[in-house]
Amino acid sequence: MRIRLVSLVAVVTTVIAAGWLVSRWDAEPGVWSDEGVAILRSLWLESLPDLPPDPTNAVADNPMAAEFGQALFFDTRFSRNGQISCATCHQPERRFTDGLPKGVAIGLSKRNTPSIVGTAYSPWLYWDGRRDSQWSQALSPLEDSNEHASNRLSTIAIVVEDKNYWRMYKTLFGEAAGVDTMYSNIGKAIAAFERTIMPTTSRFDEYTAAVIEGDGERQAILFTEDEVRGLRLFIGEANCTQCHNGPLLTNNEFHNTGLINFEGEVPDKGRVVGVREVLQHPFNCLGQHNDDARQNCSELTFARTGPELIGAFRTPSLRNLENTAPYGHKGQLATLTDMLAHYNAAPDAMIGHNEAKPLGLSARELMQLEAFLLTLAAPAEF
Amino acid sequence: MIRRAMMFLFLLLALQSPAAAHGGVVEEDDICVIKVNYLRAHFKIYQPRVSGHEQFCEDLPAAAESVFVMEFMHDALQTMPIDFRIIRDATGKGRFARMDDVEKIDDLDAATVFYQPAMLEPDVYSIIHTFENEGDFIGIVSARNLDNGEIYAAVFPFEVGFTGWGYWPFIIGLLVLIQIQYLAMSGRLRRWFTKAPPVVLVLGALLLQMPHSASAAEFIVTYSTPEGPPEINRMHSWILRVETESGDAVEGAEIEVDGGMPAHDHGLPTRPKVTEELGDGYYRLDGVRFHMSGYWEIVIQIKSDEAEETVVVALTL
Repeated sequence: MRIRLVSLVAVVTTVIAAGWLVSRWDAEPGVWSDEGVAILRSLWLESLPDLPPDPTNAVADNPMAAEFGQALFFDTRFSRNGQISCATCHQPERRFTDGLPKGVAIGLSKRNTPSIVGTAYSPWLYWDGRRDSQWSQALSPLEDSNEHASNRLSTIAIVVEDKNYWRMYKTLFGEAAGVDTMYSNIGKAIAAFERTIMPTTSRFDEYTAAVIEGDGERQAILFTEDEVRGLRLFIGEANCTQCHNGPLLTNNEFHNTGLINFEGEVPDKGRVVGVREVLQHPFNCLGQHNDDARQNCSELTFARTGPELIGAFRTPSLRNLENTAPYGHKGQLATLTDMLAHYNAAPDAMIGHNEAKPLGLSARELMQLEAFLLTLAAPAEF
Repeated sequence: MIRRAMMFLFLLLALQSPAAAHGGVVEEDDICVIKVNYLRAHFKIYQPRVSGHEQFCEDLPAAAESVFVMEFMHDALQTMPIDFRIIRDATGKGRFARMDDVEKIDDLDAATVFYQPAMLEPDVYSIIHTFENEGDFIGIVSARNLDNGEIYAAVFPFEVGFTGWGYWPFIIGLLVLIQIQYLAMSGRLRRWFTKAPPVVLVLGALLLQMPHSASAAEFIVTYSTPEGPPEINRMHSWILRVETESGDAVEGAEIEVDGGMPAHDHGLPTRPKVTEELGDGYYRLDGVRFHMSGYWEIVIQIKSDEAEETVVVALTL
């Protein structure tokens, strides 16, 4: 009697354990449905469309302007103390970021230094989208008292006095003109360089190519099982592709994700203020320094304003996570692990409301997600 | 007799509470609200360095960095210069301090630990202060009405580093028990339970009736996307066709468009506008963009000479 009972318990336990194991062992993680392949393809770098023209900048795709802009980008003379260039914060070897919570130049900048890679595709620049072109963005740090702390006249004077710069300037834009026109031209040259800064093929892109070709062997070489499971979470349960979509893994739009305030500062209002600034900024698409007056400036014309944008910030690309910590608009989160834990909890926002919902992922799943995110790393090229 | 005495005490306390006569901070339906005269705002306090995202309404657990946030419920507050002062409680009234008591303080500046001079804030008002010591404090928020020059104020006493609720839970618990016992003994409790269901049913029926009477299909809206099917992150245009139920084109209508993702509590990333009436009930809608895949609702408000209606177009990307 007793033996029978014991064996019955053993059988029942085995059946339950086997059932549990089968339920855990979902379909081979490396096998993708047609829908899955379509999603991977949408995130694939090969799917990135050709760079759209920037009609507001007549020299946007001019190689000499890019050469001129590159020289300006690395030139420290365009700062009050002669030590700060664009590359002080946007360091090429760090994917054009600086590894600090907030940029450090003449003073402490307002927010975390964003990467430049692929931003030519974005209708909005800055965390709060307070500029609508790369060229108008490139001009504001020069005059920001915490960044270059220079001014328009000094900037123009350096270009005019440097023989090489002045030769390139005259070839591109002609003789000297009004201060704002010359100043905006300098921004347009910097933008022509920045437009060439593009992401390169990451391990994720190679994996996706293998998936599309149906090359299982290569898939297994390229991705570990954890990375594959992380990718599945990324496009599924973790809801990442809601905002981090397309080949640059960003929708370039503004979302409140409930990040905590930076120590000693009131919570940053973000886009709700940024949109007001861009709508009235003299260097915007509707301003007189736009090189193509026929442009309809649809982004500005149809820009959304209002309280929904309180505490909202531009979705960053995920293509350069390795080597770009800390994360968040004020660098509030030191590591990717911290960032994923934040999304997993999705706490109430201090101002506005957090659009993300708690995910309820396990520690192992978060680790897999992080493993996948690191497969998106690849050096930028320019 | 005891019950009557307790009720009297409770009433007395209720009348004394700062929110009763002047502006102050109160909890309503689990939401903390500050009343500046008749103007209201959601009120919340954070101690991010010690308590993360946890929200407090009045009392704060620690002497630490504290962020006070007011989210306006009345738009009028967006156009009123608002100043924010925190003083050490020098009134001696503690929790029952009111504006009159604050006005009696001779040297307000000496008692002040934080002062934010009046500022106009169109979006959300927030201030930050790091308390160096625990103790009793009073917050004073005043808003100036630019039309008539009047100043509206809210006064809220609070404790930093509070250790407990004092005797309050005990008193409230006692009152609740006495009330329940009274109701049970008088037989009212039983009568309520037997009466409640019909009341709920009638209310439910009324609520269910309401949407039906509000909807009347006046217009039918169809849309097409000449640049191919909508895809995410691309600005594109729609052609709307508005017709009456009988199929007649609706011309000269005023059309307002908005929309969003109900599942994510957010709207469209743009503000699309009808830019051209193409004739025969066709309208060109420009500036449409979706920035996420999933379920979207486009809300189209149509106003013609004859009627006004809101039509919702649902689509999944």
